[in-house]
Amino acid sequence: MAPQTRKAAIVGGNRIPFARSNGAYARASNQDMLTATLDGLVARFGLQGQQVGEVAAGAVLKHARDFNLTRESVLGSRLSAATPAYDVQQACGTGLEAAVLVANKIALGQLESGIAGGVDTTSDAPMALNEDMRRVLLAVNNAKTLQQRLSALAGIRPGQLVPEVPRNAEPRTGLAMGDHAAITAAEWEIGREEQDELTVRSHHNLAAAYDRGFFDDLVTPFLGLTRDQNLRPDTSVEKLAKLKPVFGQGEGATMTAGNSTPLTDGASAVLLASDEWAAEHDLPVLAHLVDAQTAAVDYVHGGEGLLMAPAYAVPVLLARNGLTLQDFDFYEVHEAFASTVLATLKAWESPEYCKEKLGLDAPLGSIDRAKLNVHGSSLAAGHPFAATGGRIVATLAKTLHEAGPGKRGLISICAAGGQGVVAILES
Amino acid sequence: MTRTVLDAPPAMPALFARAALTARGRGGDLPDTRLARVGVEVDPAHLADYARVCRFPLADSLPVTYPHLLAFPLQVALMTDRAFPLALPGLVHVRNRIEQLAPIGTGSALDVEVWAERFATHRSGATVDLVASVRSGGDEVWRGRSTYLARGASAPEGAPEADVEVPVGEVERVSARWRVPDDAGRRYAKVSGDVNPIHLSGLTAKAFGFKRAIAHGMWVKARGLAALSGRLPDAVSVDVGFRKPLFLPSTVALATSPVDGGWDWAVRGEKSGVEHVVGVVRPV
Repeated sequence: MAPQTRKAAIVGGNRIPFARSNGAYARASNQDMLTATLDGLVARFGLQGQQVGEVAAGAVLKHARDFNLTRESVLGSRLSAATPAYDVQQACGTGLEAAVLVANKIALGQLESGIAGGVDTTSDAPMALNEDMRRVLLAVNNAKTLQQRLSALAGIRPGQLVPEVPRNAEPRTGLAMGDHAAITAAEWEIGREEQDELTVRSHHNLAAAYDRGFFDDLVTPFLGLTRDQNLRPDTSVEKLAKLKPVFGQGEGATMTAGNSTPLTDGASAVLLASDEWAAEHDLPVLAHLVDAQTAAVDYVHGGEGLLMAPAYAVPVLLARNGLTLQDFDFYEVHEAFASTVLATLKAWESPEYCKEKLGLDAPLGSIDRAKLNVHGSSLAAGHPFAATGGRIVATLAKTLHEAGPGKRGLISICAAGGQGVVAILES
Repeated sequence: MTRTVLDAPPAMPALFARAALTARGRGGDLPDTRLARVGVEVDPAHLADYARVCRFPLADSLPVTYPHLLAFPLQVALMTDRAFPLALPGLVHVRNRIEQLAPIGTGSALDVEVWAERFATHRSGATVDLVASVRSGGDEVWRGRSTYLARGASAPEGAPEADVEVPVGEVERVSARWRVPDDAGRRYAKVSGDVNPIHLSGLTAKAFGFKRAIAHGMWVKARGLAALSGRLPDAVSVDVGFRKPLFLPSTVALATSPVDGGWDWAVRGEKSGVEHVVGVVRPV
């Protein structure tokens, strides 16, 4: 075992442009997209035929046949077939969690290099057999005699032909994620206009980053797409103001299809390594993954918002690293919904919340909004659940690298199930 | 030489019907004719269908065998023309060679040209090569050569000897088992347009002397290459020999062996060991 730990380097990343659901990638499977993304990373860093220490990636919406999705993607890619791989799933935190897992193994000296990634499709989504039908067919399969089989088959009803379609809803509450977010938005009194302003900034920042070529070495075109399909460079607060709310009820409803992320298809991957491995391979080090933290909240019975867990994870991470919320040059707060970002920031500013919920003597305080999601985030790019972490890690690492050595960035990602994953990167 | 540019791919069912009706009374040498299409764009939905049937990943470049689908209807049109000396029914695809000189992007506009050449003498008849050349932006990116055997036919005086032997080495190590279902021919017919009745059902196959429907050779070739996804050179030649028919349904074994930066491979009956397809993949 290594006598001491080291910080894992982020060498670079690759993703395919994110497509709107049933858009450009309507026919692509998770495996197609993850394989293409890995191959793009391989091409970018000259890894053809090479063995990487490990590949960790995952998908949130996964077919049963894709139980070994990441390994299967590696086998179909140009990486050496001797590269081990495993699947990770932590809802929207999957991509960042995968990066943390790979970084930790590098930190411990168990790996010299690794790839973290994620992929999701809402177009080629799995459908399950109707639960009643599934039970009938299991009984048929287990039947030993013709008579048993026939009697089991007699249990079939026409209504059982309707399959179970995956829904973006919490199993325990039956509420869509947007419904949950709308409750939090109302509790924190997040206004429509500030949500729309944040959304416009996301689109404008992402468009500007594309225009100046920032994504040239982070994105590889796929199936005819060269930019994220959801990106609206010319959107404005006036245009967004025309949209009708889709989540929340009555007068107080503020969340629209504009200031909520759309269903999206896409994949991302990040190459991590020890500094030595990067140097041996003549590859750059954009930044290091310094530390990470997860948290979870009881959104079912505990009165906390579904997407508020990052609010809890960040103070723990800051304390362990002797930092304040203001000690960062860039913040990447995943825009599940514009209201989620704003509620989280407001929570950190609230003395009551920080004292009562987070157990802090003083609030974390506010952040300089000019440092927030400077190259756009999920509202503009879209959010293929498991692919978002890889998008953010690579984008922030490059942002820090461009800003020069010694710069620090904070990543905060909320996830279904009331969870959150946060991390610190440093150039 | 006459070169005809077609605006659209010819309708294959009509061509197969015409081929059956005009089978008699053919002869002479190969026509000096070329058929072409220019600026062909790949339909993404069709590409996705093809990829699923052959198990290729959906990626940003075309599967090595995909351009054959663009050339094949033109080749059938050439073969069903009255000037073609051999009758299409009864022609057996015995060898297929592809050279991909560079990966072909799915968004490329492709110029496709086909012709027939190398009328050759074979111990049990005559062979002819249907050739295809595919260009992108003026550069040739893909070449295909399908060798067909016409049993009992004779090549013109002075014709060369047929060239049907694929130089494949020993391939013993089984790397995959495929259960090929009885609708494999219908599924491939749907995406390839190759509606030759011998592939479609037992009944239609019997009418042409086969005991059951048989798999398309080009499907077996494609599936073999799909199994090597991620392990093929960008510039690659794939030479495949079609040996014994693969009757549907069947369980077959794919054997592969790395050779000279490429692969030798074979598809055989899992139990019978009957050799259906052998292949040689090499970097070019």
